[in-house]
Amino acid sequence: MIFFQFAQRSIRLHFLRSLLAVLGIVIGVVAISSMGILGNSLVLSVSESLSDVGDTIVVFPHAGMGSGMGTGRVNDVITERQIQQISRAVGANDIIPLHIGADRIEVGGETGVATIYGMYTDDIPLLLDKTDGIYLRGTGGAMAGKRLVSDFDLKVGSRVSVGDATLRVVGLLDERGVGFDINPDGALIVSERWYSAVYDEDDFDQVIIKVRDINDIDAVKNAIEMQLNKRDTVVDVFDTRMILEMIITTFNSISTFTTAIGGISLLVAGVSIFNVQMMSVTERIKEIGIIRSIGTRRYEVMRMFLYEAFLLGFAGSAIGGVLSFAGGYLALIVMLEGNTSFLFEPSSLIYIPYGMLFGIGTSLMSGVYPAWKAANLNPIEALRYE
Amino acid sequence: MMPVIRLEDVSKVYPLPFGDVVALDHVTLDVEKGEFIAIMGPSGSGKSTLLNMIGCLDVPTSGNLFIAGRSVREMDDDELTDLRRDTIGFIFQTFNLIPLLTVRENVEYPLVLKERRRDTWGRSEELMAKVGLEESLAPHKPSELSGGQQQRVAIARALVNNPAILLCDEPTGNLDTKTGTVIMDLLTGVNHQGMTIIMVTHDPRIAEYASRTITIVDGKIA
Ligand SMILES: Nc1ncnc2c1ncn2[C@@H]1O[C@H](COP(=O)(O)OP(=O)(O)OP(=O)(O)O)[C@@H](O)[C@H]1O
Ligand SMILES: [Mg+2]
Repeated sequence: MIFFQFAQRSIRLHFLRSLLAVLGIVIGVVAISSMGILGNSLVLSVSESLSDVGDTIVVFPHAGMGSGMGTGRVNDVITERQIQQISRAVGANDIIPLHIGADRIEVGGETGVATIYGMYTDDIPLLLDKTDGIYLRGTGGAMAGKRLVSDFDLKVGSRVSVGDATLRVVGLLDERGVGFDINPDGALIVSERWYSAVYDEDDFDQVIIKVRDINDIDAVKNAIEMQLNKRDTVVDVFDTRMILEMIITTFNSISTFTTAIGGISLLVAGVSIFNVQMMSVTERIKEIGIIRSIGTRRYEVMRMFLYEAFLLGFAGSAIGGVLSFAGGYLALIVMLEGNTSFLFEPSSLIYIPYGMLFGIGTSLMSGVYPAWKAANLNPIEALRYE
Repeated sequence: MMPVIRLEDVSKVYPLPFGDVVALDHVTLDVEKGEFIAIMGPSGSGKSTLLNMIGCLDVPTSGNLFIAGRSVREMDDDELTDLRRDTIGFIFQTFNLIPLLTVRENVEYPLVLKERRRDTWGRSEELMAKVGLEESLAPHKPSELSGGQQQRVAIARALVNNPAILLCDEPTGNLDTKTGTVIMDLLTGVNHQGMTIIMVTHDPRIAEYASRTITIVDGKIA
């Protein structure tokens, strides 16, 4: 169609400034797409590394409570009495109290720091899976988390010095990933008895409740709150499903936010398209007067200029779409430490057509006012314009 | 039968901050089919305003204007535009070719607007030959042509939809005498084939080509 040719030739006639406007769209599309890909990969990688399923309630001592203020160390704990109360509240569901600490460890001359979880040995199979050896029963043994196993080359039977004592590794734990309850991958699991004896600690740091029927979660949570937090808030009660949702929501917001930042560069590109189109209209006022005087309708003039904006946007979006693979790849290399496996997930790739649509849309929208202005010029005045 | 152009008491007033300008003052005029009219008069007397009015580029402030039997006052912008495309041909002093299009595309342009498809049956070539343009000029841009050649292209473009009326605002004003004579011979030929022509000119020798001369002074026919 002849109006399309007008648009093509007008762009070719002003190749450099058209190129710059296209470049703006390219940058905008790449920014939106790669930020979208990055955000989505972030969400995917976080969800993947979270091991929790949502059947767990975690009880922490309420921050700021406790008795150790005078010594300069905040010592928030859950006491044996509170454990009894929780136990009454949760009924038949399993309750797992934990000591949590950290200590220097040494294996065959190699030293490091490990988290130490002290648990009743009966509770261990409820919470953790093993890959080798047996579940801990006595007090002289320990179970080692996956990372500890590979860092220190541990085997069943290895000896680990913890502080002044020595423990024998009886079992190796399966990898568990990041959790809200416990993170055993870099930890040693020891018996409650051993922990309270060695560290002289009777109070607990955390309580985990495994809820058998996931529909009971809220009821169990309420029961705990009623038992312990009636007068003052002494414990904080979370369920992992809520935390999971909170984290995913947070990362989704981050993802939206980074994509929006990409959108700002597209906005700038839109301004440059607007600018180029206004220039094109102003330079061609006389020409618009001519074509109007010999029978070109308003909407045809409008189409002519909208095609021009569309062509710029289309070129920019096409190039931008291709470069978005590279942009997304680069963003993942930098931000996700080289983990590019989520680039080709459909939920990531969808951001490329999104970005392209936004690119074309922005160009068209930026072109509307100049095109409208061109279409509504007074033909006689336009003809007289020099 | 109604004349091809009829002005009944047509006025055009331009409202300006320091008082209105009456560019046309109660003009009444009939133009019959096949007439060749020259419009003369001093600068600023309203000649171009009259021509723009007949060409449907502008609408009267008061009075009635009929083009090919249709009342201009009752038409919207699209209808006026279609009337310009189908019924009227324009020739300007400054040629006014479309710089982005080639010679052939310029000639073809009003036809593409009307038919909504490219000229594949040789109408453009036919007209280029008729106004004396060599076919080798077809792919050139207007800026590569002489003034006389550009005006020939403009005439071919004005004729391509076979309009009822040809409007010329000083068609030879930017041309030398010899080239002007060639253009006037062309217009005379077109007129002899039955086309109504209205031409604004300052030059009495050019006005002699016309069958009737109208003089305008201060927006009135003298
Ligand atoms: N758009 C406009 N706004 C205000 N006044 C106008 C406009 N167009 C024309 N005029 C005025 O109307 C009057 C007639 O102008 P017009 O262009 O018709 O004269 P003309 O006879 O064609 O003159 P010339 O021989 O110089 O071309 C002039 O006084 C002019 O200043
Ligand atoms: Mg004039």
